[in-house]
Amino acid sequence: MFSYGFMQNAVFVSVFISILCPCIGIFLVLRRYSMIGDTLSHASLAGITMGLLLGQNPILGAFVFTSVCGALIEFLRTYFKKYADLILSIVLSLSVGVAITIISSGKLHANADSFMFGSILTVTKWDMLMVFILSILSVLTIVFLYDKLLYIAYDEDAAKIAGVRVKLINYVFSILVASAVSVSIRIVGVLVLSSMIALPVATALQLGQGFKKTLIFSVVFSVIDIMSGLFISYYLNVAPGGFTALVSVFVLIIVILLKKVYSVFKTDN
Amino acid sequence: MISTKNLYFSYTGFSPYVIDGINLEIKKGEYVSVVGDNGSGKSTLVKLMLGFLKPSAGVIISSAKRVGYVPQNNDFSNSAFPITVYELLNSYRRLLKIKDKTIISENLQKVGMLSFKDFLMGNLSGGQRQKIMLARALMGNADLLVLDEPSTGIDVHSQKEIYEFLKKINQEQGITIVSVEHNLQAAISNSTLIYHLEDGKGHLCTPEKYVNEYLRKN
Repeated sequence: MFSYGFMQNAVFVSVFISILCPCIGIFLVLRRYSMIGDTLSHASLAGITMGLLLGQNPILGAFVFTSVCGALIEFLRTYFKKYADLILSIVLSLSVGVAITIISSGKLHANADSFMFGSILTVTKWDMLMVFILSILSVLTIVFLYDKLLYIAYDEDAAKIAGVRVKLINYVFSILVASAVSVSIRIVGVLVLSSMIALPVATALQLGQGFKKTLIFSVVFSVIDIMSGLFISYYLNVAPGGFTALVSVFVLIIVILLKKVYSVFKTDN
Repeated sequence: MISTKNLYFSYTGFSPYVIDGINLEIKKGEYVSVVGDNGSGKSTLVKLMLGFLKPSAGVIISSAKRVGYVPQNNDFSNSAFPITVYELLNSYRRLLKIKDKTIISENLQKVGMLSFKDFLMGNLSGGQRQKIMLARALMGNADLLVLDEPSTGIDVHSQKEIYEFLKKINQEQGITIVSVEHNLQAAISNSTLIYHLEDGKGHLCTPEKYVNEYLRKN
């Protein structure tokens, strides 16, 4: 399996995705914003079509347009303070509108379908470089902003009193989300990307640990989900995105069941 | 320590104002309880003092070097948030750029919560959580402590402990306290001054005067 160049590329990209997605996802899930992944993955599809239309790298196109949409979500929060889900619908409409209009125009000289379901065959060297740069930059930014992001998620008022520039950090974070979405889109695809952001975190939350341990477990579950999804999908000859989503749900169910068994065992003793 | 001059605020920016021309001066070392009916503007006044809201008109002048804030207990709807007491305080320490890690244990010791260091915040009772919030608010030698209804959702025993602690740090360390209170009994017996708000306007008086002139008449 590893003798194939495309498989080596896919594993390389998957390693970065499996670290980056839960690092971003934990903050989104805890801010009750996990569906932002769904909206921004559609934004990235629009970005991909724009990139292809203009003859640019599609992942770069995805990153730019998704960043704009992430910033737009942040901007609209001022106008729809109590309707976060409505903001996501607005940006989703814009993104789907752009993507469908460009795809249906017939002016694309490339295939955008592989981005819908995810594909391991289409990862290019240029994609790998983009994934590498965006992932490293994103993880470094998360490490640097760790306390600020944690406090904005837990207690925004306390963050403000401690001098955190909440609005600025929120804009930076929306770019981080855009980055995570853009690098993941090649392998997992638009349709299941939000599950990569939310499910490993949902599984780790079941363990009832503190923040740092939850984050570490999220990355562990993400690596298990994405890597086994990738390898099994290779043998089954199906799209990796869909199968990774199935593995994520399966791992979550296993953890919930083990937790149940453990609590029954603990009560009996 | 903190004063307001001709302070006006409304959520629309126009009349009627929630805060209607308030001139209030709180001196260093005072313990002021802000009281009033629901909707009188108590929490709004505190949010303005903390800078969470911008005044429609007027100014707020503060000479506090560091402000500590204890939110309302029921604001913490995120009880499922995976964070330990230590993580909560350690992250806050780093945000305040305090190098000395021992401050965490010291502050937990002060509120009698050192043994709960590794507990998840979500597993604590309302009273315990409020004590952790106090330990956090006092980090970095806060000289102004702002509390929003500190006894809401807390058992009587914990309420007593919290008010005793507040009184102690006010008297012994001279920390200025501004506390929004719905608990009139606590306001009268603990604070040095009471600020009574009604329809966005207020007046400052001693607890004795408040009992004699306001409570007995109503």
